[in-house]
Amino acid sequence: MGGRKDGSPSSSIDSSSHPALSTASSLSQPRRDLSTDLRLGLSLSTSSLQDGSSSARDDWPPIKPLLRSTLTEKGHQIQRQSATFFVKVYMEGIPIGRKLDLFALDGYDGLIKTLRRMFRASIMRPDIAQMPTNKDHVLTYEDKEGDWMMVGDVPWEYDFLPPLLILLPSILNSICH
Amino acid sequence: MTYFPEEVVEHIFDFLATHRDRNTVSTVCKTWYRVERLSRRSVFVGNCYAVHPERVVARFPGLRSLTVKGKPHFADFNLVPHDWGGFALPWIEAAARGCPGLEELRMKRMVVSDESLELLARSFPNFKVLVLISCEGFSTDGLAAIATYCRVLRELDLQENEVEDRGPQWLSCFPDSCTSLVSLNFACLKGEVNAGSLERLVARCPNLRTLRLSRAVSVDTLSKILARAPHLVDLGTGSFTIDHRAEAYHKVMGNFIKCKSLRSLSGFWDAAPHCLPAVYPICGNLTGLNLSYAPAIQCADLIKLIRQCSKLQRLWILDCIGDKGLAVVANTCKELQELRVFPSDFYGGGIAAVTEEGLVAVSSGCPKLNSLLYFCNQMTNAALITVAKNCPHFTRFRLCILDPKKPDPVTNQPLDEGFGAIVQSCKDLRRLSLSGLLTDRVFLYIGMYAERLEMLSIAFAGDSDKGMVYVLNGCKNLRKLEIRDSPFGDAALLEDVGKYETMRSLWMSSCDVTLGGCKALAAKMPGLNVEVINEMDESDEMEENPCDLDKVEKMYVYRTVAGPRNDAPDFVWTL
Repeated sequence: MGGRKDGSPSSSIDSSSHPALSTASSLSQPRRDLSTDLRLGLSLSTSSLQDGSSSARDDWPPIKPLLRSTLTEKGHQIQRQSATFFVKVYMEGIPIGRKLDLFALDGYDGLIKTLRRMFRASIMRPDIAQMPTNKDHVLTYEDKEGDWMMVGDVPWEYDFLPPLLILLPSILNSICH
Repeated sequence: MTYFPEEVVEHIFDFLATHRDRNTVSTVCKTWYRVERLSRRSVFVGNCYAVHPERVVARFPGLRSLTVKGKPHFADFNLVPHDWGGFALPWIEAAARGCPGLEELRMKRMVVSDESLELLARSFPNFKVLVLISCEGFSTDGLAAIATYCRVLRELDLQENEVEDRGPQWLSCFPDSCTSLVSLNFACLKGEVNAGSLERLVARCPNLRTLRLSRAVSVDTLSKILARAPHLVDLGTGSFTIDHRAEAYHKVMGNFIKCKSLRSLSGFWDAAPHCLPAVYPICGNLTGLNLSYAPAIQCADLIKLIRQCSKLQRLWILDCIGDKGLAVVANTCKELQELRVFPSDFYGGGIAAVTEEGLVAVSSGCPKLNSLLYFCNQMTNAALITVAKNCPHFTRFRLCILDPKKPDPVTNQPLDEGFGAIVQSCKDLRRLSLSGLLTDRVFLYIGMYAERLEMLSIAFAGDSDKGMVYVLNGCKNLRKLEIRDSPFGDAALLEDVGKYETMRSLWMSSCDVTLGGCKALAAKMPGLNVEVINEMDESDEMEENPCDLDKVEKMYVYRTVAGPRNDAPDFVWTL
């Protein structure tokens, strides 16, 4: 039958039961010393918490499972949401550019729509076969190797983070399919 | 009373509002017992294992409303193993056989299977109200059965249940003839929702007053629903993700304006700050607001919203509101009665969210405050003493300092004096949860002053058995005592064994109680079930030879007239 057999009562805090030092005991009795670990963990500085502290307990603090799972999930999302990534966008021939937060957009669709509104230009999309007209523009960026590429071929989820975007009249390129 | 015909006695009993009073009059004499049991319409069973369902049904054949609670409260915090028990089926089966007139069933922390929901749906032609709180074990198929067969269903209220998603079709199972819904809460469901079915259902139920939508319901659907049901009183908004530049935003704001009866708002699952102004038009009427599922909304936007809610009586919020935000609550919400502040970042290392300052501000500005659940990073004795003085009307006071055993940061003292002030000042206190560094002294105070206390939750507190004994000796009205990670052992447990028959239950986990102590208790008190919960630990050789000196990991003791239960899993030993 399970139970704590040694002498250390659960309510003591002393350095000999520091989580980092007592990994052996905490492994062999997984549900045992958590209370001690917890108290020490929470009262130490953030540096010690951040090492693998997804050992966050599921029984402390005392909140219900629905709230716990909602907040855990949101915790990850919010880190992403509050980050921004502003990129400069220029239209060829116009010296004054615009700025755009890529993290606030919803994929390439969002990017193209926003740029269309900003520049009042029609922008070609690589995934849609279309006959280019004189008015079309192509959205391009310079990749790490210094080559000018058309935006849209690499999946959005691969963290498309170019330093600069340029809208070029499509007539300059023969990229049309 | 022999001069009065039984109908008159029965009529007099109608005036008895509480279960307690009705239970009392039934013990006066045989005649009163009979009159009472035949005229009883509503029964509350606080512990499903305290009595056999058959016995309840046999005694009260005219039963219309049944409430049953299952697992101990600490099950909410993952302290009770998953398959400990608390099954709904025996209750539904017994009722199906003995009380066909059943109209209402309310269950909390019970395991409810689809099979039992189906039996429920088919067995009671007059079934009107189903409320399931913190239950599990069922899926949307069970809900489909309820929707299909309960022809006069008025209320389907699912609060924080674990429901397996088997598709959105359950909502379409409400027949076209179903127009009786008054309350529908499916906020806890995780799966897709058939928007069309939902809209049609809302449209044909003119009496619908409470509607709490799940996360899967879009703003677009919400907007249509509001347009159809402007008489809603209580709304759970669903996902509430709107692009505030979009037309949908203006539409939903326009529809909110029409909802003049709206008094309570919740949901806001994915709400971002720029969505909130959509509800500003109705904030002035709100008496209840729950933003505890909206961590993306930070202090500044919360403040803007709360400034408009001057009639608020109940506020559930995340601690990102901060002390500053609580000061705004104190200035604005003069009618506030219930406040719950939940922790938004509990993995440690976060920004200090709320402290004692926020609580003091609210206590000072909101004199009607009587119910509190407050998660904070720190608390001082001085603050608690001030709060006790400002708000002597607390009936529920639950404080959770996130760092267990944390002392008063100003004086480095335990929080005994602070909590002592609370129990001394709040004469009507019925429920109390303690936290922070606490010695036996706080229990001395509780035993001395907390005369009306019915439920006490203790975690990481006390020095010795004396603490627990003070409580058991002092609190005459104690019904539920739950203790975790505190140094109370056999001496305290066995000090006054008769006490436990006056209480509903006692829970102790990670304390110093031994197997021997539990056995002794069980031997002395046959009217109690003493359950020892051992989660098998494969690496632990001692499992095979349990020794009386071994400390017990988890123990649950409750009074019962049903004897040891026959559905206990292997890891639960009833001694």
